[in-house]
Amino acid sequence: MGSVLLLLFWKSAKSRVLEYIIPIWEVTGTFGAFWVVITDFAFPSILIPAAKLYAVGLMLFLILFVARNSSIVFGEYIIKRKWLDDKKLYQLYSVSTIALGLIALTIFSSIISGAGVSIGSGYFSISHWILSPGSIPFLLGALVIGVGLSPVFYDLKPFMRISIPLTVTGVLISVLSFYLYSPQLITLWLAIPAILTILVPVLYSYEKTAGIVANKFVFSIVASVILFSLHPLVYPSAFGKTLPVDSITTGGAMGQAFLVITLVGSILLAVMIFIYMVAVRRTALGKKQAA
Amino acid sequence: MLAMIPMELFDRFLFAFTIGSHIILVTMSITLIVLISAAEFIGIRKANDYYLALSRRLTRVFVVSFGVGTASGIVMAVELVNLFPGFMTLVSETGVISLFYAEVFAFFLETIALVIYVYYRDAFRGKYTHWVISAFVAAGTISSAVFITMVNSWMNSPNGFNIAEYLSTGTVASIRPWAPFLTPTTLAQIAHVITTTIFTGGMLIGAYFALRYLRTSDPDEKIFFRNGLKLTGAISIVFIVLSGLTGSHEMGTLLVNQPLKYAALDLNVLPGSGMPERLFGYLVNGQFTGGIEVPNIQSLLAQFETGITTLPGLSQFPQSDWPPLWTHITFDIMVTGGLLLGLFLFIYFVLWAAKKKPYQLKLILYGQGILGAASLVVYELGWITDEVGRQPWIVYNVMRVSTAANYTTSLLIPGFFIVVFYIFLIPVTFYFFSRVFNGRPLKADLKPGPDDGGVNY
Repeated sequence: MGSVLLLLFWKSAKSRVLEYIIPIWEVTGTFGAFWVVITDFAFPSILIPAAKLYAVGLMLFLILFVARNSSIVFGEYIIKRKWLDDKKLYQLYSVSTIALGLIALTIFSSIISGAGVSIGSGYFSISHWILSPGSIPFLLGALVIGVGLSPVFYDLKPFMRISIPLTVTGVLISVLSFYLYSPQLITLWLAIPAILTILVPVLYSYEKTAGIVANKFVFSIVASVILFSLHPLVYPSAFGKTLPVDSITTGGAMGQAFLVITLVGSILLAVMIFIYMVAVRRTALGKKQAA
Repeated sequence: MLAMIPMELFDRFLFAFTIGSHIILVTMSITLIVLISAAEFIGIRKANDYYLALSRRLTRVFVVSFGVGTASGIVMAVELVNLFPGFMTLVSETGVISLFYAEVFAFFLETIALVIYVYYRDAFRGKYTHWVISAFVAAGTISSAVFITMVNSWMNSPNGFNIAEYLSTGTVASIRPWAPFLTPTTLAQIAHVITTTIFTGGMLIGAYFALRYLRTSDPDEKIFFRNGLKLTGAISIVFIVLSGLTGSHEMGTLLVNQPLKYAALDLNVLPGSGMPERLFGYLVNGQFTGGIEVPNIQSLLAQFETGITTLPGLSQFPQSDWPPLWTHITFDIMVTGGLLLGLFLFIYFVLWAAKKKPYQLKLILYGQGILGAASLVVYELGWITDEVGRQPWIVYNVMRVSTAANYTTSLLIPGFFIVVFYIFLIPVTFYFFSRVFNGRPLKADLKPGPDDGGVNY
C-alpha cells in the first residue's frame, strides 16, 4: 500500500508513509521469515513439492527481498551524492516491494485455484497461470483494494475521495476472479471479508469514526479478520479443491512441539509488541508536550 | 548447454557462496551489537560523550547490517529448501525444524528491540533503560546465531529419531522433537562459533578504527577512534583466548563424535597412539609428505582434552566416505592463523599492561589493519573446514549431499543471478557501512539532538 503511494505521490505521501514504514520495515521482513518457517513446520509433507513448484518464483522473491531491504536501509541513511538520493532508493524499495507482492499473490492465487499447477509432476507453468481466466483479475483486484485502503492505513485525508470507489471496485474484481477460477469458490462466507473490506473506507469517510478505523491496531485486527474469513478458499481443500489440507499438516510429537514453541514464542512476541507500543505512545506524548 | 552443468555441484557451489557471503554480515551484526552495548554502558558509566557517540554511530551501521543480513538470512532459508530438498524434508519431519522456528522468535526479539532502541530513544527516562534495550537486541542476535549453530551441530551429530530405521526403510520414526536442541556436539560448537565470531568482528572493526586513527589529524576524531581501538582491542584479547580454549575443546568433541573428520583434518592414515602433529603437507600413496611432523603432540593434546590415547585413522573407514583431504590444509591455515593472531594480541596485551598505549603505536595499528582482514580469512577457513570436512554427508552418517540435492536445472539462471547479486551486494554494503558511520560530523554525534533517531527525512 505504502509503496504505491510512494511511487505515485512522492511529495504528498512521503512523510506519512515513511513515518510508518521506516521504524517497522525490519519487523515486516521478519514476518516474512516467520511465514516461511511456519509453513515448513506446519506442512512438512508439502514442503518439497511446493519448493519444486515455486522454485523459480522463490528465487526471484529472494533477490527482490534483498533489494527491498538494502534499498530502504540505504535510503534511510543516505546523504545525497550525485544522482543517488533517498527518493531513488525509496522508489527502488517500492518497486521491489510491489514485485514481491505480485509474486506472493501469484503463489497465493495458484494455491487457491490450482491455476498453472501440476502437483503430480511438481511443475508450475506461468503461461498456464496467466491464461487461466481468474488470474489477472485476482492480481488486479488485490492491487486495487490495496491502493483503496492505503489512505485509511496512512491516514491521508486528501486521498479519501478515491478510497471508497477503489475499494468497492477491488472487491468486485476479486469476487469475479474467484468466480472465474471456479464457481465452487463462491460461498456465503465471502460476504464477511467483502463487507468488512468496504466498511473500512466507509467508516473512514465519517469524521467520528475516521480516527478509530485509521488506528493501526484496529486496522490490523480488521485486516486479520478479513484474511481469516477467506480461509474457505483453501480449507478443507487447496489447489482448486484437489488437495485436502488435513492430510499434509504436522501431528504427533512434532505437533506438540509446534504448539509449545508457538505458545512460548507468542508470549515473547506479545511482550515485545507491548513494550514497543509503550515506547511509541511515550514518544508521541513527549512530542506533543514539546510542541 | 545448461543441462551439462552438474546440478549437485551447482547446488553445493551456490549454497557455499551464499553462506560464505552471509557469515560476513552475521559476524558484523553480532560483534556490532556487543560493541554498541559495551560502548553505551561505558559512556553512561564514565559520562563519556565519545563512547556514547561511538555507540550511536555503530548503531546506524548495525541497522544497515541487520537489514541486509535479514534479507540474506531469508535467502539462506529458502535456498536450503530449494537446493537441498531431501535435507529439508528430514529437517521438517524431525525436531530440527523446531530450531528454525525458535530462531524466528529470537529474530523477533532482536527486531522489535532494535526498533525500540533506534527509533524510540527518548521513550525511556532512566539513563540505563535505553542501554537495557540494547541487551535485548544482543540477546536476540546471539540467540539467532545459537539456534542456527544448533542446526549445524545436529548435521554433525544427528539425533532425535530412529536413525537405524531411517537408514533401512527411509521412514522417520520415534521422533523426539526436543533432542536436536542438545546433541553431543552442540555446546562445544556454540562456544567456538560465538567466541570466534565476536573475535573476528572485533578484529575487523578494530582494523577500520586503526586505519582511520592513522589517517585523521582532527583531535576529536583521534580521541574517538582511540576509544574505539581500546574497546575492540579489549574484546579481541578476551575472545582470542576464549576462541583458543573452545577450539581445543571442539577438536576433542570432533575426535569423539566424528572420528573420520578428525582423522582427515590431522591426516592420520592409520589409527594408533603416539601420533605426531602434522603441519601442512599431503598424502602420496598413503605416505605423508611436504609438511612438518611434530612428534607425539597430536596424541598429547587429544589425551589432555578427551583422555583418548588411540586415535582414529582414515583406513578404518571406506574411502567413499572420506572428506576431501585438502581440509587438512585449510584446518592448518586456520590454526596457524589463529596462533599468529593470538601472538599479535599477546604483544598488544603486554604493551597495554606496561602502559605503552598500543592503540597509539603506528606499527601496531598497521599490523591491526592487516590482521583484521586476515582474521576474516581465518574465520571463513574455519567454516570451510567444518563444512567440507563433513562431506560427503549433509547429515553425518545419515544422508549424503547427493541424496539431498535438487537436480532441477530451472534453478541455474536464478542461481547465477543470486551469485552476481552477492558479488555486488557485499562491497556495496561495506561501502554503506563506512558512509553511514561517517555520514555526520563527529561533533553532531557528540552532542545529538533530542529526536535523533537517524532517520533521513
